[in-house]
Amino acid sequence: MPKLTVTDTEAQLLVAIEEARIDAAIATRFKDRLRDIVLRGRKPVRLDMRRVDFMDSSGLGAMIAVRKALPEALPLVLEGLTPNVERVFRLTRMDTVFDIPPAATQQE
Amino acid sequence: MPHTERQNAGPAPRRAARVQPMFHRVLQADPRDVRQALTDLRGRFAGAVSADAMGRLELVLAEVMNNVAEHAATQGVGSGCMHLCIVMQDSGLSCAITDDGSRLPADCLKPRGLPALDPLDLPEGGFGWFLIQGLTQSLCYYREGHRNCLAFTVPYTQVS
Repeated sequence: MPKLTVTDTEAQLLVAIEEARIDAAIATRFKDRLRDIVLRGRKPVRLDMRRVDFMDSSGLGAMIAVRKALPEALPLVLEGLTPNVERVFRLTRMDTVFDIPPAATQQE
Repeated sequence: MPHTERQNAGPAPRRAARVQPMFHRVLQADPRDVRQALTDLRGRFAGAVSADAMGRLELVLAEVMNNVAEHAATQGVGSGCMHLCIVMQDSGLSCAITDDGSRLPADCLKPRGLPALDPLDLPEGGFGWFLIQGLTQSLCYYREGHRNCLAFTVPYTQVS
């Protein structure tokens, strides 16, 4: 089962992806698991992706499916994108669909 | 054999001037085997190419090999194996992937754009060949007997 660490605060869900790779080997299970989490939460989601070192188009498809499962009014913010993950969002123009804050503002 | 080569032969041969890693693997057309091959591949080339080139190479190969696993090798056609070979050349990382599954549809290699970005119904797939085409040079496909052969180069620096 894909490892996801969920921190539920009053205002939002913080989900840390503990997998190094979101690829075809886990994309379907990852999608189902994350969709369950965000649908149960019904609140804005912050996804911590700093540990994800590789994502392919099946992983991207899983992310898009989760975005579509969430009501449009609820933000899904992707934080800590590594270069390999950022590349896939950028090349497919999906960086315009997701809420991806610039790296410099993510320092805490 | 020229004189110098004979001098370099023997139990302690002089190292060749340029030693570059290469990679060859026969693997099951299965996402877990693809993942393992890519992990090993990264270990092989990490010291020889930039992280950026490595990332592009890994993405392209993931897309190609997962396509083979999903479409070519799943219909009881062929052995369910594929062959992967990567060598470093002046122009970039030259890759060849062959398998004995069903034929690649011609549409895959036609120049293509992104799937339509309908904000109300976002596409969840259709990105694979777009990525492959965008990240490779000299992409070519041919059928040799019962085998699919796909070859391309991933440049060391992205031109576009």
